[in-house]
Amino acid sequence: VSTTGAIATAVAPVAGRVRAYFAPVNRSSGIPTLFDPAQRGGFVLDSPPAPWVDLGWVSRFARKVGTKVGAIRAGAPAMAAGQVRTEVEATISLEFETWGKLQATLASGSQQTNLLTTAIGAIPNGSGGLAAAAAPLLTGSGPASTATSLNVGVTAAAGFAVGDLVAVDIDYIGQLGYVGTGVSTAYVQSASAVSGDVNFVRRVTLNVAVVTAIAAGVLELASPLPAGAPTAGMQVSQLAGFCDREGASFFQEWSALFVLPGVQGDRVLYHYPRLQAMQGSAETEDTWVLPLRRIRLAGAFRALPVKDGNDGEMVLCFRSYLPAALRGI
Amino acid sequence: MQNAKDTFYEMLQSRLASLNPSRTIVVRGMVRPGTLVDENELPTAMFPTDAFRLSWTALQVNSEGPLPLVTMECSIQYATDGTPGNGGMDRGRLLAAMDAELAAALGGEPQIAGKMNYSAAGVGIAPATMGTNVFWAEPVFGVAAAVRERLTRTSTVHVFAYQEAGEL
Repeated sequence: VSTTGAIATAVAPVAGRVRAYFAPVNRSSGIPTLFDPAQRGGFVLDSPPAPWVDLGWVSRFARKVGTKVGAIRAGAPAMAAGQVRTEVEATISLEFETWGKLQATLASGSQQTNLLTTAIGAIPNGSGGLAAAAAPLLTGSGPASTATSLNVGVTAAAGFAVGDLVAVDIDYIGQLGYVGTGVSTAYVQSASAVSGDVNFVRRVTLNVAVVTAIAAGVLELASPLPAGAPTAGMQVSQLAGFCDREGASFFQEWSALFVLPGVQGDRVLYHYPRLQAMQGSAETEDTWVLPLRRIRLAGAFRALPVKDGNDGEMVLCFRSYLPAALRGI
Repeated sequence: MQNAKDTFYEMLQSRLASLNPSRTIVVRGMVRPGTLVDENELPTAMFPTDAFRLSWTALQVNSEGPLPLVTMECSIQYATDGTPGNGGMDRGRLLAAMDAELAAALGGEPQIAGKMNYSAAGVGIAPATMGTNVFWAEPVFGVAAAVRERLTRTSTVHVFAYQEAGEL
């Protein structure tokens, strides 16, 4: 049995849009999420392999290489005898098409805050005042909570409505360092800095969702919680929206994957295992028909190095190309 | 180029028929999905309403790359008089429905189609699969024109394809 196929001439990739994906970096250990293009490079764009999360299409994606190469000169007159890399740097900039929680957090440049529903009489505060008491998740009574359903009990459920935004995370009980279940979203230097706020972790967590139905004390969610099924001690807070602050000190860090699906079936992948924000919260505007303007979240990020396990080289980014089937190379 | 034109037409006809199977026309006595290519039909002064009429207009060939890149402009004209039962007062709604169908068909993913050669295709004979894909940009919707009871719109879309070795 023999198989033959006609090979088409290779052409430069043509791609219209760029798709972005997020995965967390373990900030405490400094370990990013690595993407293996040899194993998973051809994944279906709508179904990225876990733990990668789809950020949607992005616009004005631009890579910038800041690596500098200098010459080592010798002799008289001096002639280039060799070369040396004096500085290695890679940055990217992009604009998100949606204002989702994850996109807004990454583009905020720093810590992003959930605007938790405030307690009655709370003193006004720029990032939300004292939060109302959270609803505990019930255990041993009714169905167990999952990533898509939260059992808060009939009494507490009466305080929620379909369409509510909720944050699900543990209480703050004096933890120091990185906090936020699933993704580190803030760094606590001291309990006094956060006023010992029991809701502080829920105030910064990315573990948020929208309530789509309420029945028998269970809140059904529109999408799974990013951190999966709730763990013991987690509680549920309602929130009104999100807030970020220019001048905050935290650097958000994430593992990034960008895919350019070529129109001929080929694919270019850019993988930045560690990206940190390099600008504050910013937006760009597209003018449609005056006075309407579309406002996009603009982000700029600097790549940090990781060690390539194949040869121990410290690198900032991986660019991979997967040719289309039956193409010349 | 003809393969790219045929492939694009087949793709568009299939997608539009899937979106609205009841949009049909009678051409030479046969009921067909409501999409046709002007240059493939008998010359006629009749303008079929409630159907999409494709015309291939501008053409550009860029030979800088290893395969010539062909850029073709496809003009898609459609019109409606509304329905007699409603005295034509639903013509705006019917034109909006056609706008939406065309936008969904051309804007939906994927915006590519594997290029096929239909020259030898026929009953029981499948078209031959070629080596590259046809792809297209977002459609540009022209201004709706009203002539008496008839509403007409012409939209254009740029269709791209590589001219493969030996392809005419």
